[in-house]
Amino acid sequence: MAGQSDPHISLFSAAEIEFVAEDELVEIVPNISMEPLNFTCGDFGPFRPQMPTEVPMWLAVALKKRGKCVICPPQWMSVDKLTQVLEAERDTEYAFEPLPFHYVELSRLLFDHAHEDIPDLYMVRTLIEDIRDVRFHKLESSLKLINERVNAVKLKNVSAMEMNIVRPFLVRTLQSFYKLDSPQMIHNPVTTAYRQAQAADRGPRLELRRRHMIDLLRR
Amino acid sequence: MASGSEEGTELETEDIDKSIRLTTDVELLKQAWRNEKASPEILKFQADLVQRSKEQIQLMEDTVEDYEGNGTDPLTISLYQMDLDRYQFLLRSYLRTRLQKIEKYTIHISKTEMWNRLSRPEQKFAKRCKDSMEKHLTQSVLSKLPEGYRSILQQSASSDAEDMVPEPQLDTFVFCKSNQYREVVQVGESGDEQFDFAVDGLGVIRYTAIRELVETGKVDLV
Amino acid sequence: MYGRRGTQLLKELSSCETGQLPALNTDTFDEVIKECKAHSSEVQSLTGKIQEEGLDLATTRNADYFGAAIHHYSIIRNKRCLMAYMYNRAEIIQSLRWKVGRILPQEISVKLNHSEEEYFKNHSSALESYMSDLELDLTVDMVPPKDPYIKVRVLDDIGTLLLSDQSPNLARHSIHFLKRTDAEQFISQGLMEELSD
Repeated sequence: MAGQSDPHISLFSAAEIEFVAEDELVEIVPNISMEPLNFTCGDFGPFRPQMPTEVPMWLAVALKKRGKCVICPPQWMSVDKLTQVLEAERDTEYAFEPLPFHYVELSRLLFDHAHEDIPDLYMVRTLIEDIRDVRFHKLESSLKLINERVNAVKLKNVSAMEMNIVRPFLVRTLQSFYKLDSPQMIHNPVTTAYRQAQAADRGPRLELRRRHMIDLLRR
Repeated sequence: MASGSEEGTELETEDIDKSIRLTTDVELLKQAWRNEKASPEILKFQADLVQRSKEQIQLMEDTVEDYEGNGTDPLTISLYQMDLDRYQFLLRSYLRTRLQKIEKYTIHISKTEMWNRLSRPEQKFAKRCKDSMEKHLTQSVLSKLPEGYRSILQQSASSDAEDMVPEPQLDTFVFCKSNQYREVVQVGESGDEQFDFAVDGLGVIRYTAIRELVETGKVDLV
Repeated sequence: MYGRRGTQLLKELSSCETGQLPALNTDTFDEVIKECKAHSSEVQSLTGKIQEEGLDLATTRNADYFGAAIHHYSIIRNKRCLMAYMYNRAEIIQSLRWKVGRILPQEISVKLNHSEEEYFKNHSSALESYMSDLELDLTVDMVPPKDPYIKVRVLDDIGTLLLSDQSPNLARHSIHFLKRTDAEQFISQGLMEELSD
């Protein structure tokens, strides 16, 4: 047990996913002078008033909390960019727009700690919530496509938090289909005969095989 | 491990940035931590990396102590302390995750080549875990059962195999992501299904299909 | 029905909240052990009968043989239930080392039998010897670190105090940035409140 979560159900806690996201770099504008910080995770600074510099999110938040900097929201967090993303998300049935792997956690950290640094805060927040909803709905409906044994599922552009939420369900589903649909489980002679007939017919068999890998990118 | 790959010629700027960042031991430890947490089996102990991490943590602790003594401003000190806290969490969580697997699969690990993936102290821990679990189960269950049913490894004397030993489920599905390597893997039994990490990005694949790529650090579990 | 009691033990365990330990059900446990012994003597007498009749044990497939087989599989099923019961309990017991430390509180230790208490001690000491080999305490830093400093508002005049890293004047309504560990005692006494950003 080692006092941690069950290894096969929820590998990473929400706090652990956030911890990883906090290493993403973000631009800040300090209002103080401070010598470079030579951290184990890299060197940052020097810090001079009005001179933008890149630091990990956790450092940006720490400085912000102490009133020592302004955080510059990343480009993808502008109203224009997010409006485009939202429209594109709505236009496709199964594809996901490229967003930072940690867009959920990063935007939440900024809303919690640097809301006054975000232009059009209300709009940005609403857009990100809408994007999350659309994407999550798509993810849910694409998971419904899994109705037989598959060897892999492609989740291009699905983000860390989205992935973590569907993980327990998805892994259990894939494992169940994999197990129940394994050759050893099939003793029924009718099924076997059916399979042999299929094997003889090259065309449909290949068709079936291709479907064994579910591609959420299908448009 | 981040440099000198044949695929290097095709690296894009973003990939290069990423591989430079990967060179800090903190980043490497984070990768090892994620892989260890996400893989069903215990992976090879990152002996050198853990050694270096412990040294860097010690050094940073000394530095913070010096700063506290020489009147460095409290802001700087608290920021260094936060960097240190993050490193320490990673190291401890990495080691704990391994203990968790050792506890769960102790008999299996001690009977297979997995034994060599453990550090010396882990082997000692595994041996004691195995002994105390065996003693406990023998005392409270096995010794009370009829003769022929007292083995901890087999259901009965007539079992063909060791059918009572918990083993990691290697054919489970794991989430994985490309790192700076360009990899294509066969995911099906017949070899006509491929997963191209550069194109497909994130995937859910059976662990057995990418086991070697995880071992060689070419694919990251997430 | 054969094997029902064994299943009951497991149902009892799984109906508990994750990580919670129910009291050891010694009565049912002992009943299942008794069942195993009864099955075993049935196996003995049925196989004995086959041999008395001068039949070959390896090839005979008569009613006595199948009867013996049913008793044999019942023992196996019971064994699996008992082992799963004890093993899963042992997993919860070893996880307690991380949550409550090396001494089990009275209300938990009454739920264990002697062997389980001994197991807890042995497992804890294995863990401690691992940690001392590494010169690293693994029971701290269980969750990702947060900023060690928090913003607080003082609710009542406290005055100037010497804290671990500063000596602020904690006047009523003033706002400070203190170490969480310093502030916690005042917060719990209602003398300060934590401010969110």
